[in-house]
Amino acid sequence: MSAISPESFLKRSAVYRNLTGARFKEMAGSAIVAANNNGSDKATRSGLLDLSTLPRVGYRGGNAASFLETVDLPVPSKPNQFLQASGGELVLRLSPQEFWVLSALRDEGENIEALRRRQLPTSDCYSLYCQDSHAWLVMTGEHLPQTLAKVCGVDLSDEAFPVGAIAQTSVARINVIVVHHEVNNIPCFSLLCDSAAAEYLWDCLLDAMGEFGGEAVGIECLVQNLSGKN
Amino acid sequence: MKIMHCPLNGPRNISEFVHGGEVKAMPDPANCTDHDWADYVFYTDNKAGVVVEWWLHAPSSYWFIAERHTVTDDIIRTYDPSEVFKQRVEFSTESDVSTEAGQMKLKGVGA
Repeated sequence: MSAISPESFLKRSAVYRNLTGARFKEMAGSAIVAANNNGSDKATRSGLLDLSTLPRVGYRGGNAASFLETVDLPVPSKPNQFLQASGGELVLRLSPQEFWVLSALRDEGENIEALRRRQLPTSDCYSLYCQDSHAWLVMTGEHLPQTLAKVCGVDLSDEAFPVGAIAQTSVARINVIVVHHEVNNIPCFSLLCDSAAAEYLWDCLLDAMGEFGGEAVGIECLVQNLSGKN
Repeated sequence: MKIMHCPLNGPRNISEFVHGGEVKAMPDPANCTDHDWADYVFYTDNKAGVVVEWWLHAPSSYWFIAERHTVTDDIIRTYDPSEVFKQRVEFSTESDVSTEAGQMKLKGVGA
């Protein structure tokens, strides 16, 4: 039995009830699944991870891109692309004037918290609420395109949807932002969906992954030697 | 499944889109008559032929404009609203008169 559980914290993911039996780690003032009775080989093959409680922040407006540049974050040149900052954050460009910044796994979102405290430009740059409104699920492994093809109409094969690409589309009939990235050379699709639909999507994805032996995994499958209390 | 081309996201299933009504010029809300405003808000031309409409790509909350033939349901063209709307419409000063506080100000109440 894990000493740390989601119930130990007021900040919880929308899918924490689906994570029973896992070993948890304290990260960003919440419990994140550290391991789930399986190893990194599971993440390499087909895994599902919940990072909903890690910090993220959004900005919109004509001056949003220049604001991100002033805080030394890379700005993707076109919508539906992302760039990884030197600290590991993912800077998503969702439209010409809308950006989301997702926390790095290693620093527990400290850089995002620092970003939130920065003064915004006086005009045409607004912060966006994307923390509790959205859940952040991460699918991992070599079967990502085949798995999502069962629940999504968009071609997410490597040729059509390479690393660095974003697709805003319908997955299992709900609106999802799909981000194709890699963590330690393991292919990952980060899925950001309405938190009210997170439990539904979690079950849909596990069902679709079952064909490939997919299971819920822990963050230690992706990143070793994380700080944070076990 | 019918496919629509989103100017931001590319071709997507039509089930991802929401119809937003005809594109029409907005009368000045501070100075137009109630009849003109009701006509703008509630009535549509409902034309048989090519119409210019607002559409929303729901997964990205992106509004754009589509030209669609209402008889054949062919989507002729889709484009970003910035092609038509070059600058932001500000309501801050004019809309003040439509609020309760604004009405009280006009009547000299609470001054």
